[in-house]
Amino acid sequence: MSTATDNESPNYEYVTARVRSRRAVLFDDDDYRKLVRMAPGEIARFMEETEYEAEMDALGSRHSGVNLIEYALNRNLAKHFDDLLRWSEGTLYDYIVRYLRKFDAWNVKTVLRGLYSDADRESIEDDLIDAGEFSEEQLDALLAVDSIEGVVEELSSTIFGDALAPAYEDYEETGVLIPLENAVDRTFFETLLAGLPEEPNRATELYVEFLHAEIDFRNVRNALRLARTGADIEPSEYFIDGGRLFDEDDLRQLVGNRDQLVEHVRSSPYGDDLDAALDILEDADDLIQFEHALDAALLEYADKLSNRYPLSVCPVLSYVLAKEREVDNIRAIARGREAGLSEDEIEDELVIL
Amino acid sequence: MIEALIAFASVVLQEGTAAAPAIPASAAAALGVGLAAFGAGYAERGIGAAAVGAIAEDDDMFGRGLIMTVLPETLVILALVVVFIV
Repeated sequence: MSTATDNESPNYEYVTARVRSRRAVLFDDDDYRKLVRMAPGEIARFMEETEYEAEMDALGSRHSGVNLIEYALNRNLAKHFDDLLRWSEGTLYDYIVRYLRKFDAWNVKTVLRGLYSDADRESIEDDLIDAGEFSEEQLDALLAVDSIEGVVEELSSTIFGDALAPAYEDYEETGVLIPLENAVDRTFFETLLAGLPEEPNRATELYVEFLHAEIDFRNVRNALRLARTGADIEPSEYFIDGGRLFDEDDLRQLVGNRDQLVEHVRSSPYGDDLDAALDILEDADDLIQFEHALDAALLEYADKLSNRYPLSVCPVLSYVLAKEREVDNIRAIARGREAGLSEDEIEDELVIL
Repeated sequence: MIEALIAFASVVLQEGTAAAPAIPASAAAALGVGLAAFGAGYAERGIGAAAVGAIAEDDDMFGRGLIMTVLPETLVILALVVVFIV
């Protein structure tokens, strides 16, 4: 895969048309309602008749039951997101690849964890999602390495290289993976917004606006989790820079007082979008419900942006979010049915617009 | 009133022909059509890309995609009218 190609003009029309068409065939409320009532075997059969047919067939001989569903979901996700990168050109490619690097981060973390826990190559490979910037050869090379030091070396030429090298020293001293994983995550978020053109044009502005929303929502979630647990953790450790809702000092003050935090969010530009979510939080005091409402609100915000600016990166990112939600939802249903949860309990776990 | 306008116009036209316009009328009409075709082509660029994207996802979109793609072509047809009235 090539890196940013500045001399090509972005092909928004083509990509958004395809993305909107794919967005339209994602599962809707009715499908979820049907799925919730099915046993895991039935879910697998249902999926064979939809979008996921090719993946279910390909993996059907090696896996079964809920694992089959999960791996098929991952592989389908990877296929669709790879398509996005294949289609897009110019700055659009650049924006999408920045965003999809979260799967690179995921893959690196999976390999590190796999090596740490002495998992065999095959089971690590099953958990990789080949949707990011890394090519298959790069992932194969990562899998072929058999020590954490080797992984760090292998990645030295990628964007994660600079952050991983010092983190590895930390790892050697402490023997826990956290410094390495933090390094990977931080690199991802730093590269999301770094290196954009000095004078943003409209397209860049929209991309930035979208990411601000995502970072803000993530900060809200982290802040509420911290406020909820009341743990004595330095909030700034979990703070992601770049949002427009909080800065570090705001967050430190607000974590101590949840009502103030809710009030701060309500008076922010996202207030309208988050009203429903905040009401749930105040009424039920249920953090999981609130997080689902937050996810739904982010989806809705993304949809709003993509309707308002049809020829921009927003429809693509909104599709990426929606597809991820679908995969999460199906996984939640399958795992929930396997664990014997009731239909109502599973429905509470779903994020549906 | 109208007679006066026609008289005035004929005087102006006669003066115009005397000075010989930089672009003859038929050439100007041809330019107009060319510019309109250029505009139509530019408009079709985006629509065509989107239409091909939609068709790639769903074959049934072929008919609708084609119609949408050639809609800006009406610009050229309207511009062609100018050629006949000059």
